[in-house]
Amino acid sequence: MVTHPSWRLGVLLVVCCAPVTFADDPLSARIDQLIETKVNGKVAGPASDAEFLRRIYLDLNGIVPAVAQVKAFLADQDPQKRSRLIDQLLKDKAYPRRFREAFTVMLLERRTGTTIPAVQWNAFLESSFAANKPWDQLVREIIEADAGNVQTAGSIKFFTATGRAVHDQMTQDVARLFLGMNIHCAKCHDHPTVDEFKQADYFGLLAFLNQSKAAKHTGKNQTFLVEGVATGKLEFQSVFAPDEKNQVGPRLPGGQEVEVPVFKKGEEFAQPAADGLPGVPRFRPRQVLASQLASATNRRFVENSVNRFWYLMMGRGLVHPLEMMHADNPASHPELLKVLADEFTAHQFDVKWLLGVLARTRAYQRASLLPAELTVQDAKPESYQVAHAKGLSPEQTAWSMMRVTGVLEQITGKKRPEDSGFNFKDYINGRIPGPDNLEDTMLLFTSVFGNPPGQAEIDFQPSMGQALFLMNEQLVLDWLKPTAGGLVKRLEKVTENKIIAQELFLTILARFPDEQETDDLLQHLEKHAARRTDAISEYAWALLTSAEFKLNH
Amino acid sequence: MNPYQCHGSQHEFSRRQILGAMAGLGAGSLLHPAVAEDLKAKQKQVLLIWLDGGMSQLESWDPKPGTEFGGPFRSIPTTLPGVHISELMPNTARQMQHLAVVRSMSTKDENHSTGVPRVLRGDPKNRGVTYPYLGSAMAHLKGKPDSQLPNYIWVKPGSGGFIWQHAGFLGSQYGALALGDGKPPVHINRPPGINDQVDQTRNDIRKRLNSRFQEGRRKAEVESYDYSFQMAEKLIQRKDLFKDFTPRELARYGSHPLGRHILQSKRLIEEGVLFVQCHSYHWDTHGDNFNMHLDMVPQIDKPFAALIEDWQQSGHLDNVLVLLMSEFGRTPKINQRLGRDHWPEAWSLAMAGCGLNRGLVLGKTTANGAWVEDQEYDIGHIFHTVFRAMDIDTGSTEYHINGQPLPIAHDDCGPIKELLA
Repeated sequence: MVTHPSWRLGVLLVVCCAPVTFADDPLSARIDQLIETKVNGKVAGPASDAEFLRRIYLDLNGIVPAVAQVKAFLADQDPQKRSRLIDQLLKDKAYPRRFREAFTVMLLERRTGTTIPAVQWNAFLESSFAANKPWDQLVREIIEADAGNVQTAGSIKFFTATGRAVHDQMTQDVARLFLGMNIHCAKCHDHPTVDEFKQADYFGLLAFLNQSKAAKHTGKNQTFLVEGVATGKLEFQSVFAPDEKNQVGPRLPGGQEVEVPVFKKGEEFAQPAADGLPGVPRFRPRQVLASQLASATNRRFVENSVNRFWYLMMGRGLVHPLEMMHADNPASHPELLKVLADEFTAHQFDVKWLLGVLARTRAYQRASLLPAELTVQDAKPESYQVAHAKGLSPEQTAWSMMRVTGVLEQITGKKRPEDSGFNFKDYINGRIPGPDNLEDTMLLFTSVFGNPPGQAEIDFQPSMGQALFLMNEQLVLDWLKPTAGGLVKRLEKVTENKIIAQELFLTILARFPDEQETDDLLQHLEKHAARRTDAISEYAWALLTSAEFKLNH
Repeated sequence: MNPYQCHGSQHEFSRRQILGAMAGLGAGSLLHPAVAEDLKAKQKQVLLIWLDGGMSQLESWDPKPGTEFGGPFRSIPTTLPGVHISELMPNTARQMQHLAVVRSMSTKDENHSTGVPRVLRGDPKNRGVTYPYLGSAMAHLKGKPDSQLPNYIWVKPGSGGFIWQHAGFLGSQYGALALGDGKPPVHINRPPGINDQVDQTRNDIRKRLNSRFQEGRRKAEVESYDYSFQMAEKLIQRKDLFKDFTPRELARYGSHPLGRHILQSKRLIEEGVLFVQCHSYHWDTHGDNFNMHLDMVPQIDKPFAALIEDWQQSGHLDNVLVLLMSEFGRTPKINQRLGRDHWPEAWSLAMAGCGLNRGLVLGKTTANGAWVEDQEYDIGHIFHTVFRAMDIDTGSTEYHINGQPLPIAHDDCGPIKELLA
């Protein structure tokens, strides 16, 4: 029999701690209605303030709250404090950074490359989220990839990152990431099991992109994604029917073909070739694709967009897997997907508005603990009856570990040497010293915890290599040594063990320890009284490597 | 340094004296007396020994002495009546009754850069997807999720790390844990200050925290996180897997890198790793082919024969499939630099164990060794055969990627029936 810990919420829909107010937004209320009706109201109660606080910090700012923020929030008696915090975090300067990181992982999938420096892409994405650029506009800019505009120049990394600068990969990734369609198989034949994914969809999309290639502007030393003169239809045949020739011009999956205008010889170009770049054709397929794809009238785009924001906040797509959006894999809550898509469109693709609405739902703010009345088997992931545990991304892991150990403040000011040749492989094989600045440290963490290039980071996939890193990486262990400004230095001066217990839990897990946990820690400190500092450091390590820390629950 | 090697990098084997001098006293055999008894119940395993660059079939399995392209070496009789192999492999000649040699391999790629992955992926029909290497395929098809050691380990010269690229469309978790120079991942070593006791203490706290956190929650996330630490702990506790070898072992297998790496691979298999790939580089003898083979073939002959003999005696050969091969063979024609170039048209490989028929030589090349005369096999046939030997039905087993079913080995090939019992 399972004994429930004392801090477990056992009651349905019971408000704990300070009263929580919900549904100050009618759409949030509608979302909850659609989810709760489906399970007859059988859902977990609200997350504790502490659980909510940590979750919303990680989701909106990409980092766990600092201990002072934890204490202040838990002490705050204002019933509106959750809603206030949501607004505050959406305004925080950490917000654009967090969404730049999240969408870099989602859109570039750890692809790198030197054609467009990462710093340029980062600036484009971060400034877009800072300005709360409408999502459709942001996607249009990525697809248009206009390097001539300083504001959007970084966007062209999407199409020029390593491994993506080939038309096949461009086509597949546009379909997968912006339309929720994995049309990999459709390159050679219609999808064998998904009726909607046709070979013509692949070639229709390819016909928008097959004129694009990178070229360097000689004067500006800037790479452009130039286009050749579109030739019209593409010919293709299925490997299952090699004799049957088909043709398709540029068109969105399932959409109308775009007629490719034919110009007289010599009149195809709007601008002549210059500065090492070829002429700019009068018909630019990528521009057409951008405006047709990222538009309110393209339902697939809108639904894929809200599905991906929903996934970021809730840990699972309404349609899941995210890239298999089709009739045979319907949304868990079709009506909800429709409402979200309608409203996102009506709100001009306002990202902060959407995130705020999702964050204010009971579904988002639910406890991750199952109520006594629900079994694991009953509470299906797609029911949203309890909160999902999301694995911390490599970036969230790095930021959070640095914050709780007290390293962040010290490392932030350290400039990365211009000639820093830091790379993971040399470091791991003992050829170069460890990183001593923020950027190289992030690089180390994304190398250890990130997926290889081209592989989406959707599911939580811990590995042995990551565990070995956390166990024995000198850098991580150094963070837990009593150095100036660090957590352990702060705590080794505290004489009362109970306070140490409290501070460790509040700092690392953003919550108070319960009695049993406090006792456990006290026993540990007593047992190792002769080596008190080490004992504190060991407990801190265990908290830092615990599942509770690694999961955004 | 040999200027005619493709990569021109330093001759790996020149280090053998240094390494030989470093050989200290090591632990005895890790094979527990009871292990032999347990073997029958154990899962089947694979050891793939890969001679990168392409060993010459004419200086090994398929000698043609006295012919136009035969080269200077003689052939010697083996324990198989009527079967001769190169005089460079006297030890292997005494183990031939346990081996199955295929002399009629004919594959399709004469470049290293594309040929190596193509052969290691089994050269399936092009379906626009990246197939996994044999080791990743095996980890996916036969790996146990709760195995105590990684399912796919790659023992290789040079640097180590986690090589996800081998996994192809299966996803990075099926990649290879590469042990550079046979050494374990760097983080297996605890930094100063972390001893057994400290490690135990801190991990015990971590486990207590996790078990409390898990109560009343979905188990998958916490369990998989816990498991990743368990694997790490197991590996840290198994430093004995990487202890130095005994003087006797080194005398039998050779103290050069290939001998050591085969010993390391042997250990890993005996400890239950599903698939071990053991790499040796610099077999690409475009120049000075005969002196290089004179130097190098003995370095595979000795440990390979010792391995077969040892596993025959211990019973491991009943459950472990040993595969010795390259990405292609070498041209019969001897070039102006006394070298042999790349030759996928007609080459040889050897297999043993795991229930395959023993003491066989399959296929035949023409008298001058240039072409396959009889029983031509592609790498697809070898993949089918290996899968069948591992109890994987290549007729009914498929990969499923994004809803698309994909055959695990080339559709137009099948297993080599003469090899299957």
